Amino acid sequence: MPASAREDRRPVLSRIDLALRILWGLLGLLAGVYWVHQVLRGEDYERQAENNRMRKVPVTAPRGFILDRNGVVLAENEPSFTLLLYRRETKDLDASIRFVAELFNRPFDEMKRRVERDRSYYDFVPVVLQENLTVSEVGAVQARALEHPELVVQKTERRVYTQGTVAAHLLGQLGEATAEQVAARAKTRPGDESLPQPGEAIGQQGVEASYQDLLAGFSGSRSYVIDSFGREVGESGHVDPMPGNTLQLTIDAGLQHLAEDHFAGKVGAAVALDPKTGEVLALVSAPAYDPNLFTRRVTRAEWDVILTDPNRPLNNRVLQNLYSPGSTWKPFMAYAILKHGIDPKERVFCPGGLTFYGRPFRCHGKHGSVDLATALQVSCDSYFYTMGKRLGIDAIADTGKHFGFGRATGIDLAHEKAGIVPSSEWSATVRKHPWYAGETISVAIGQGPVLVSALQLARALCGIANADGALPTPHLFHIGENVRSGERFVYRPAVKESVAWTGLPRDIVLDGLWRVVNQPGGTAYGSRVAGLDLCGKTGSVQVVGQKEAKKGHLLPEQLRDHGWFIGFAPKDDAQIVVVVFAEHGEHGSSAAAPLAAKMADYWVTKRRAGPPPVVAQAGSAAPRGAN
Amino acid sequence: MSRLAEVLPRRIDLRFLLLAALLTVFGIVMVISTTAGSPRGDLAGKQVLFAVLGLIAAGVFLAVDYRILLQYSPGLYGLTLLVLLWLPLFGKRIAGSKSWIKIGGGFQLQPSEFARISIALLLAWILENDDRPILKTRTIVAIAAAVGVPVLLVLLQPDLGVALTYLPFIAGALFFGGLKGRWWAALLIAGTLAVGGSWFLLKDYQKDRIRTFLDPNLAARGAGYQVRQARIAIGSGGILGKGWKQGTQSRLGFLPVRHTDFIFAALAEEWGFVGVAVLLGAYGFLIARALAIARDARDRGGSMLVLLLIVNIAGQFLVNVAMNVGVLPTTGITLPFLSYGGSSLIATWCMVGLVLSVAYRRYVNV
Repeated sequence: MPASAREDRRPVLSRIDLALRILWGLLGLLAGVYWVHQVLRGEDYERQAENNRMRKVPVTAPRGFILDRNGVVLAENEPSFTLLLYRRETKDLDASIRFVAELFNRPFDEMKRRVERDRSYYDFVPVVLQENLTVSEVGAVQARALEHPELVVQKTERRVYTQGTVAAHLLGQLGEATAEQVAARAKTRPGDESLPQPGEAIGQQGVEASYQDLLAGFSGSRSYVIDSFGREVGESGHVDPMPGNTLQLTIDAGLQHLAEDHFAGKVGAAVALDPKTGEVLALVSAPAYDPNLFTRRVTRAEWDVILTDPNRPLNNRVLQNLYSPGSTWKPFMAYAILKHGIDPKERVFCPGGLTFYGRPFRCHGKHGSVDLATALQVSCDSYFYTMGKRLGIDAIADTGKHFGFGRATGIDLAHEKAGIVPSSEWSATVRKHPWYAGETISVAIGQGPVLVSALQLARALCGIANADGALPTPHLFHIGENVRSGERFVYRPAVKESVAWTGLPRDIVLDGLWRVVNQPGGTAYGSRVAGLDLCGKTGSVQVVGQKEAKKGHLLPEQLRDHGWFIGFAPKDDAQIVVVVFAEHGEHGSSAAAPLAAKMADYWVTKRRAGPPPVVAQAGSAAPRGAN
Repeated sequence: MSRLAEVLPRRIDLRFLLLAALLTVFGIVMVISTTAGSPRGDLAGKQVLFAVLGLIAAGVFLAVDYRILLQYSPGLYGLTLLVLLWLPLFGKRIAGSKSWIKIGGGFQLQPSEFARISIALLLAWILENDDRPILKTRTIVAIAAAVGVPVLLVLLQPDLGVALTYLPFIAGALFFGGLKGRWWAALLIAGTLAVGGSWFLLKDYQKDRIRTFLDPNLAARGAGYQVRQARIAIGSGGILGKGWKQGTQSRLGFLPVRHTDFIFAALAEEWGFVGVAVLLGAYGFLIARALAIARDARDRGGSMLVLLLIVNIAGQFLVNVAMNVGVLPTTGITLPFLSYGGSSLIATWCMVGLVLSVAYRRYVNV
């Protein structure tokens, strides 16, 4: 090689030096990029990797059983299958939905909407596509598992109401949690991972809703390691679900059955309370519906039947429907009379009606000279017109409010109506016109603007049935039991209210109410039961005005009056308060009192037979069926 | 022979050889890890066989004087072009492209991988004949043609990944050969135009790759899937990694072509940043060592040959590592020494043999 060649190589050498610097620069740059990903953002990617390879299948906690006060199972669970969709493993969402829609014969659009609605922020949280799969449907899904790894059948538990339509209104029903409900609950329990996801079944009505947290337990999960095809290659961990607590209600299934049987084919309501504790012994609203309908797919047709039924079976007539109390208002009038110092022995002559403010007010009979007790016994309107006029509307309203009318009783069920206790102030603020004195005469016999619920009547009657005038809060919660720890929670009343009888001759009111049932001439004499000592008051409520009725453009049954009976037994130590309402039953005496008597007799006899039965343990050993 | 046994250990650049061997062993270890428990479980064994064949091939290239190869390089290059032309015309389509020649026993050869050797030899021969500090225009055209023709032929197969591995040759030849400033400016403009123009020549899936490279989360399920999954694998490795055979992303199949193009992501997942740093360092030293060999080579031809070969290896390595982490678009470029594949590994070892051959003959009296 000539020396000049060596000379020529100098530029190449300097370029090699430059190349070396470029090399280390690029390597440093690459190392920096990897540092950012592996160290600075490492944790984030680690979480993504975890989500990438894990499939978290929620394991729904078995919902707590609901028992009656004697341990009779009202609601339990049975195995069921739910179809879940994992969006992250979905290659073609529309194809997945189309497959499922065809399999279950459901409209594609509806299913797609549901997926869109229920999708959560995280794509590894599954969407509930379909509940209560049949065994053949499970098979059909699993046969295509390789093709559709995004579809997973989850074994869950389905709610079963063992007594069918019995106690439907108080038990309530489950329904899919809506996005709003999920959001609302997330607000009250922030950060709680066991909160229901959209699409999960939660209590929507009745006890199921009131005690959702208690009954629901805490969901667990099973984590599977999956490969990129969505195939499970192993289990990587699980969190056991915490079963819901067993809830024992104050209801007596036998009493409930007895009342519901009576209402077969009829429309009405009945409620029975233990006057001392406020325990609801029975709560019936007829017609009822089968809450089991809501724990599986409700078909359009089934829904239509329920929604278009003119008798509105979803309404809880005990606390959501308001009625005129009619003559059942009179015992509370009696209290007002005594409270305002009117002598109960004072007599009013009833010639079959009286004239007030130049207008005739009719009585349903000619009762002659009656005192308070007799007026209650024969339900003499003339007597109460006279006394009502003397008391004035505001004194009557005060007593009504004193007994809890015009506001919710506070029962542990949602959607309770408050009712109306009219007063001059109410007229001015709500109706925007002055109170007319003539209206007071109507209110005195439970007509006019006064509106009550059956439950309010029952609670108010406790104030008369109890010697101390106690007005307990009606409640269904008896005992809650943690299935795991055995820990128990018992109902504790929050506020104690009462009406004061001190210095008032309560025995006169009791006597009048006793004679309603137990003396000839009493309006419920036909329903007397030997040795029961049932006290009570009948009532009927006009459905339409007399003039309208004469037009005759309504069906005869819808024209008929409503019948009430409110009562308690035994007279001296009341153990049960019963309110029965027979919609269009015409007369309380014939349509309501017999059932009330039967219910009171059932309960008092049962109580006499021995101490309250020992509460049965929850679980599989619990006796089934009524009684 | 006795003299050879005496001289060989002293004359062979052991550092370069050991670094190449180390990277190859890394590769085998990663192929074991990424294919264990899969139907491809035998691939690691094959890779060991390829490594042995590569070592033998390197020995052959070491034994032959590279100066003779340089002399015959136009002929070798012509033969290579014939093979590359034959493939798209008469070759059998395997996995969507006509890049392979079956040689029996379940083995097949990818001539385009070996074409890199004759291209490097021809370019070194061209540069040797133009030994002025700044290249003549004629030489520049010759370089462009020498690389451009095989690129076009390989694109016909079609194999974009391999075709791209030829491009560092142009850059290397022009850079080390010497180019005037205005040529660099012209190249920059031409390059930009070519990139823009090639957009219309790209297939839809290739365009998708570019698009998702710009935004990997755009189509997490589709074309962006690979990039996203590779990043998750790399990122979740952390500093120390999940451990050998413990990489969930690669083992559970989330990482695509994990034993070939994305083997570096699998390594990053299992060995963490520490493994990444070690590997980058190993490559860095290997390349630096080759640059030193080029510097010490006895003639311009040898020097240029080593530079071209190492630029080719370095280009593939840098593009692959950048592609794994999503800094560059996904193209089917293998990671030299590490990716599974006989043609790639053996061809790379042939290049190692050539580099060693130049180092071996750095003294005039050999």
